[in-house]
Amino acid sequence: MKVPYVDDKPTQGGFGTPSDDDLGRMIRNTVESWRPRRGPDWSGVLIRIANSGPPAWLLYTAASAALVVILLAAFLVGSALQIGALGPQPVPSNLH
Amino acid sequence: MREEAKELDPATEFRQLYDQQYLSVYRSIRGVVLEPAAAEDLTQETFVRAYRARHRYTPTAPPGAWLRRIGINLAISYLRRQKLARVLPARLYTPPDRRDYDRAEARDVVTKALATLSPKLRAAIVLHYYDGLTREEIAAVLGVPAGTVASRIAKAVAIMRKSLGSDQDLGPERSNSEGALRGR
Repeated sequence: MKVPYVDDKPTQGGFGTPSDDDLGRMIRNTVESWRPRRGPDWSGVLIRIANSGPPAWLLYTAASAALVVILLAAFLVGSALQIGALGPQPVPSNLH
Repeated sequence: MREEAKELDPATEFRQLYDQQYLSVYRSIRGVVLEPAAAEDLTQETFVRAYRARHRYTPTAPPGAWLRRIGINLAISYLRRQKLARVLPARLYTPPDRRDYDRAEARDVVTKALATLSPKLRAAIVLHYYDGLTREEIAAVLGVPAGTVASRIAKAVAIMRKSLGSDQDLGPERSNSEGALRGR
């Protein structure tokens, strides 16, 4: 839906339609009537911090590092034991 | 920004920042999710995330705007996950108590009108009208250009005015509540 740019200046509403000033006041009054049932609970925040695991960035970094170590170790072991494609390849005898 | 007498440093004064900003962050988040319990939970989660990131805070924006950015993003992600946006209007509306009819009705009508908006439009409207942020500040909070904020506010205002207008045109029996609704 394309709508015109609305300036900060209040506009007069038509019949049955609140003006921008009224709308702003209604929204403010409504939002200011919202109060949390429990209120601020700092100990709840501390419990959540204690119970939550490491931050996502740390988890991803650790997982990526572990993957690199596993791949590197697999390559070194494969090379040392000459397993599969890491072993010596047969040279075609018809190539001279 | 309202209710921000002194700018606290999240790295060293986080506890004070929590007490100072809790209510306004809660209201901003509730303006997006419109559910009291979910808003409380997301507010706590906002401060948990902010606490973990407190040493990475850079004072390019006030701490309140930084907290709102975390909170609003959490709220929008929450709604996206829960796909609540599609069912919110049906779940929200409950008839007001007759004893507090005028006072309660005006709030319910506004909440109903807010529920007709998408979460991103609600975020822009609440940050603009409740938090009193400028378009540039809202743009910084939401991570979108100021022009996008302006068009979101304009679109939201148009939808809400239409919604509130249709609510007020219901008949003469509601004429008494129009005064409360219009704040006059």
